[in-house]
Amino acid sequence: MNYFVKGNPDLCIGCRTCMIGCVVAHEGKHIFEVDPDSYSFNPKLHMVKTARLSVPVQCKHCENPACMAVCPVGAISQKDHCIVIDTDKCMGCKSCMDACPFGAINMTVQTGKVQADGSEKKVANKCDLCYGLPGGPACVRVCPTEALTLVTEEELGDAMERKRMEAARNAYRETHPQE
Amino acid sequence: MGIPEIEDAGCLLCFGYNGADSHPIVARRIVRGRQKGMKIICADPRVTETARISDIHLQLKGGSNLALVNAMANVIWNEGLADIRFIEEHTKGFDEFLKVIEKYTPEYAEPITHVPADEIRRAARMYATTKPAMILYGMGVCQFTQAVDVVKGLANLALMTGNFGGPSMGIGPVRGQNNVQGACDMGALPNSYPGYQNVTVPEIREKFEKAWGVPLSDKVGCPITHVPERILHEKDEKKRIHAYYIFGEDPAQSDPDLAEVREALDKCDFVVMQDIYMNKTGLYADVILPATAWGENEGIYTCADRGFQRVRKLIEPEGDVRPDWQIIADISTAMGYPMNYKNTEEIWNEMIDLCPSFTGATYEKIEKYGGIQWPCRDKSMEDKGTPYLHKDGIFATKDHKALFYGTDWHPPVELENDQYPMTLSTVREVGHYSVRTMTGNCRTLRNLEDEPGWVQMNTQDCEKMNLKKGELVKILSKRGYCITRCLPTDRVKPGATYMTYQWWIGACNELTTAKLDPVSNTPEYKYCACRVEKIQDQEWAERHVMELYDDIRAQMGIDTGKGAES
Repeated sequence: MNYFVKGNPDLCIGCRTCMIGCVVAHEGKHIFEVDPDSYSFNPKLHMVKTARLSVPVQCKHCENPACMAVCPVGAISQKDHCIVIDTDKCMGCKSCMDACPFGAINMTVQTGKVQADGSEKKVANKCDLCYGLPGGPACVRVCPTEALTLVTEEELGDAMERKRMEAARNAYRETHPQE
Repeated sequence: MGIPEIEDAGCLLCFGYNGADSHPIVARRIVRGRQKGMKIICADPRVTETARISDIHLQLKGGSNLALVNAMANVIWNEGLADIRFIEEHTKGFDEFLKVIEKYTPEYAEPITHVPADEIRRAARMYATTKPAMILYGMGVCQFTQAVDVVKGLANLALMTGNFGGPSMGIGPVRGQNNVQGACDMGALPNSYPGYQNVTVPEIREKFEKAWGVPLSDKVGCPITHVPERILHEKDEKKRIHAYYIFGEDPAQSDPDLAEVREALDKCDFVVMQDIYMNKTGLYADVILPATAWGENEGIYTCADRGFQRVRKLIEPEGDVRPDWQIIADISTAMGYPMNYKNTEEIWNEMIDLCPSFTGATYEKIEKYGGIQWPCRDKSMEDKGTPYLHKDGIFATKDHKALFYGTDWHPPVELENDQYPMTLSTVREVGHYSVRTMTGNCRTLRNLEDEPGWVQMNTQDCEKMNLKKGELVKILSKRGYCITRCLPTDRVKPGATYMTYQWWIGACNELTTAKLDPVSNTPEYKYCACRVEKIQDQEWAERHVMELYDDIRAQMGIDTGKGAES
């Protein structure tokens, strides 16, 4: 099963530390040394705020990903419990952006690469659960209120078990209201 | 009370305080308290992150604070929820107070506060019956012309419910600036020496004269918010301010009515600015003294709960900069009063020996215990300071009794009118601290938010004016105007607008009023009348904003990367 990062709106304070943590993890610490205007700031998760909700939204790492199905060049694949984009293969057609029902994909500049019209190469960008980076997803690590969790198969199993237990208790209470 | 105790309160009344934007680390305690089952009542005109997770959100109209607080007191008394024993044993002035709040029924307060009467009742009951109950208040209380009265009003609520002197109760001012508590503790106030020792008391003055070997004035000085007036309008030549030494402060950005501030800085004969980066005030300075930043120097901060904490040097400063205390010592020496301190501990030791309530807070103890909450009077290791200022209901008055203090609500100074039909309140945003002298120079924070900032407006108001998210708008008051981006949101009520005050272009203090609370001298940043205008030519506006920004950066000598081409 693929893993995913889940945000809890009851804990989130909308501070966007996760977005900075994401960029620093993927760009590397050199972004603090180079010219501030020379790197691209492209978080792979996005803070959403409505009247009564604050929570970051990112890729769900679907089991049957629509993005992967529509990619004409096979740039999207499943690796180690997550769905990743091979930015070297990506041709920037935006089909995956269009297909994703969660708005989890956007286009970003691939620093140092040039595309046909001479401008910087633009590629699809989305959460990769910090694939290949030590320590697991950076957003989970930097969140000051621990509002983000990496949901694994085990985690999901535990949660389902708790919910089933609760459902059983509720059913018992319904038939034994006096207790 | 201490900050860590927030999460163990039974009930939190969060009044005009938006922790998520101003102190995320305090907000973390609120979130954790919520997870532990703490009840939250949030009084705020906006849907803040705390309002979102609260049991009751009192979305009051800006400028109606005291009407709401008095109405809550009215309900607590009339429904028999007051702690009579505490009132009788530990307080004075309750009968006079009752006479003031008598008329503040929830029905009386409803049209003033725009909060339904039954919601006020529900909140008052929850606050009075859930123990222990804590109050946190922020700039949404303090930055009004009726500010100190509201603080006392909130203290009345805590007094009448017996919520003083124990863990996770009382009322907590969550301060507007980092170390503002420390600045007050150290006597950076016009009326006191360090340790809140009044300059007008002869014995105190004599003590400091003896210690420092110089004659000292027995007169209260000038509050910062009176400075422009004392430069521009003071007729008496001897009382007029001719020199202004500003450090760690950017009044040309942070003070209300910026046009007046600029005029004052212009007219002032001599301005010294001491800071870590160039800022707007620096443009008016005759002398600039570059200081070290956090991480480059040592010292002690006081946090909001009276806790002294050490700050330590992480790296050696580079370039032509020096720690503030060294600059001050050199200026003093040059002016004829030699100061020869070797380090910050020497300065600290001199200070605590002159301040009875700080005497026991030695570096050694602060180091060992991680922090010391004053009063700490004894140097022995046993005196670990005072977590609860009014422990067991014993107050710092002559007869140890707290005093009820009731006042009538009055509206803000500048109300909405035909020409300026909306209201403006200045607020904070997480990521940029204060005037952003520090955070504006942090690249990733700049990546999240940059010039010209945003004005938060209700979506209905935006629809009426045909304004879209990100569109540049002009916002005006009778004092000035600025250009900023429109942010439609359902978190604010129709008719109200909110802006953060750190942007050089979207500088909302061009609009704010310099009217002050009569006691604290804090300006009414949270309320003035304004108007928003649509800009038809957006391309022009975008160019104009960039030009203004480049202009300021060029004036400040910031390398814009464009110098080489021109």
